[in-house]
Amino acid sequence: MYEKEGRAGYALVAPTTVLLAVFYLYPLAQTVAYSFTDWNPGVPGAVSFVGLQNFADLAGASGFLEALGTTVLIAVAVVPGSMAVGLVLAALLDGSFRGRTVYRTLIFAPHIAPTVGSALIFSYLLTPLGGLVNAALKGVGMPAVPFLTTSPWALIAVIIFLLWQQVGYSMVIYSAALSTIPPSYHEAAKLDGAGAVRRFLSISLPLVFPTSGFLVITGLLSSLQVFTQVFVLTGGGPLDSTKTVVFWIYEQGFLFFDGGLATAGSVVLLLVGVVVTLLQLRFLSRRDQIEMV
Amino acid sequence: MATTVESPAAPLPAPPVAMRRRRRPLSSAAPGLGRHLVLVVASVLFFGPFLWMVLVSFKSSTEALSSPPTFLPTVWHPENYLDVFRVAPFGRFYLNSVVVAVAATAGQVLTSLMAGFAFARLRFKGRNLLFVVLLAALMVPFELVFTPLVSLLSSLNWLNSYQGLIVPNIPSILGVFLFRQFFAAFPAEIEDASRIDGAGVWTRFRLIMAPMALPMIASFAILSFVYNWNNFFFQFVVVNRTEFFTVQIGLTLLQGQEASDFNLLMAGSTLAVLPVLLVFLLFQNQIVKAISGGLR
Repeated sequence: MYEKEGRAGYALVAPTTVLLAVFYLYPLAQTVAYSFTDWNPGVPGAVSFVGLQNFADLAGASGFLEALGTTVLIAVAVVPGSMAVGLVLAALLDGSFRGRTVYRTLIFAPHIAPTVGSALIFSYLLTPLGGLVNAALKGVGMPAVPFLTTSPWALIAVIIFLLWQQVGYSMVIYSAALSTIPPSYHEAAKLDGAGAVRRFLSISLPLVFPTSGFLVITGLLSSLQVFTQVFVLTGGGPLDSTKTVVFWIYEQGFLFFDGGLATAGSVVLLLVGVVVTLLQLRFLSRRDQIEMV
Repeated sequence: MATTVESPAAPLPAPPVAMRRRRRPLSSAAPGLGRHLVLVVASVLFFGPFLWMVLVSFKSSTEALSSPPTFLPTVWHPENYLDVFRVAPFGRFYLNSVVVAVAATAGQVLTSLMAGFAFARLRFKGRNLLFVVLLAALMVPFELVFTPLVSLLSSLNWLNSYQGLIVPNIPSILGVFLFRQFFAAFPAEIEDASRIDGAGVWTRFRLIMAPMALPMIASFAILSFVYNWNNFFFQFVVVNRTEFFTVQIGLTLLQGQEASDFNLLMAGSTLAVLPVLLVFLLFQNQIVKAISGGLR
């Protein structure tokens, strides 16, 4: 019987596995292989081995390190920021009261809306002449700021946009975690005279720690992949100040046809992602331990 | 949307004990005014931009940039939407987006359902190894491999084609996880009974397991549709001929052509955002559950 099950098993997992192998694992192997060559995506065939030259170029004047720095800056601002705001909102939403679902829906909407459309709204809100934000500044007597075309405002705008998109996700994940805390914990603390803030800090915060670990990792991984937000809001400018690693890879591969350099950048990004994911495995195993207690 | 109520919309599988909502502490049954105030401000900050988008999409191009800004349009210009279709073939873009999102969603649901069932309920050699490989592939977002992937699609002659837009998006590791989790938590008795009755794997899968997974299929299909509708970066590098543009790519085209006509840009954004917001408002319980359940 199990032999029959075996054949059925292979047949059932085959579509996912084969497509994944062809469209992700094979290109991944190519990414690593091409990073040691002078591959030009526009001219297939002519590829020669150049050793570690691409990686040396990454460290040089290619703009890669600046893009990596920008990406890290985005991650450092967006990951803790979206988690903190998301946790506060989740705590405020905890319980059941009128309007709870409406609030959750409205706050979560930016996470699920298509990025291009949302980013166009922000580019309109931030435009110097007639944008809502500058109209408000004018209202209080401040000069207009061309947010998307001056540094450091452009990067700040990208970060705020990403926060706006990510907070809802953290909030929903934290909500699920908070709802698993037995109310008796809070009731006992309340009998002992602990106020709402104290109970949040001493009960909720430690108990959602594993969830925070999960959010750090998923947040870092998604920060490493930022492209569309920058593409629509700033186009990488002004003076490359908002160019992320993926944006840089896109330029190298698709505009400058330097496939070797582009894939070398991808390999560095992959290594960063692997380190982050290994951390995730540690966090997740720790999460299970805590949940079993 | 204000009429949405907290209700268990679709009967999802019984969640693990730890996840089940417990009785609320008394104090949170009647939250204070301060709590509502913060949540109202947050709601305006997070959802306000969408309302603003819709309002501006009905203004004239000068009113869209008037200072101080008007809230409601002084004169409503619904013809802005016709102009968007005149400036760029948005009808075609819509058709492409629908074809791509529906086909990719169908593919994701079917393949994930099959693989999730096999990983949870069938024994075969190399099952665990295969699952670990799948886990590892989670580390490989499309953003990492797109340069060789696009050249692979090019050598298949799949650039600027529906199959190029659809097929690489069909494997879904998240989907496999969700369905594996669903089937693993499923009571074994029903399946065992039919096994004793002599039903083969396929019969069990087709007639018993898959129909029981319908609520899960619905949740994942909604999530998958939204993902595929929003999937800009992939579509953007696979397609450069206007006839294969999706709504998202069309929007960037509009951004390039009508940079200062924000009323048209907002009309275009509304066209791109509205289907997703509607799907979300209708099915938000399933979406939130699938998202917050996907990590367990």
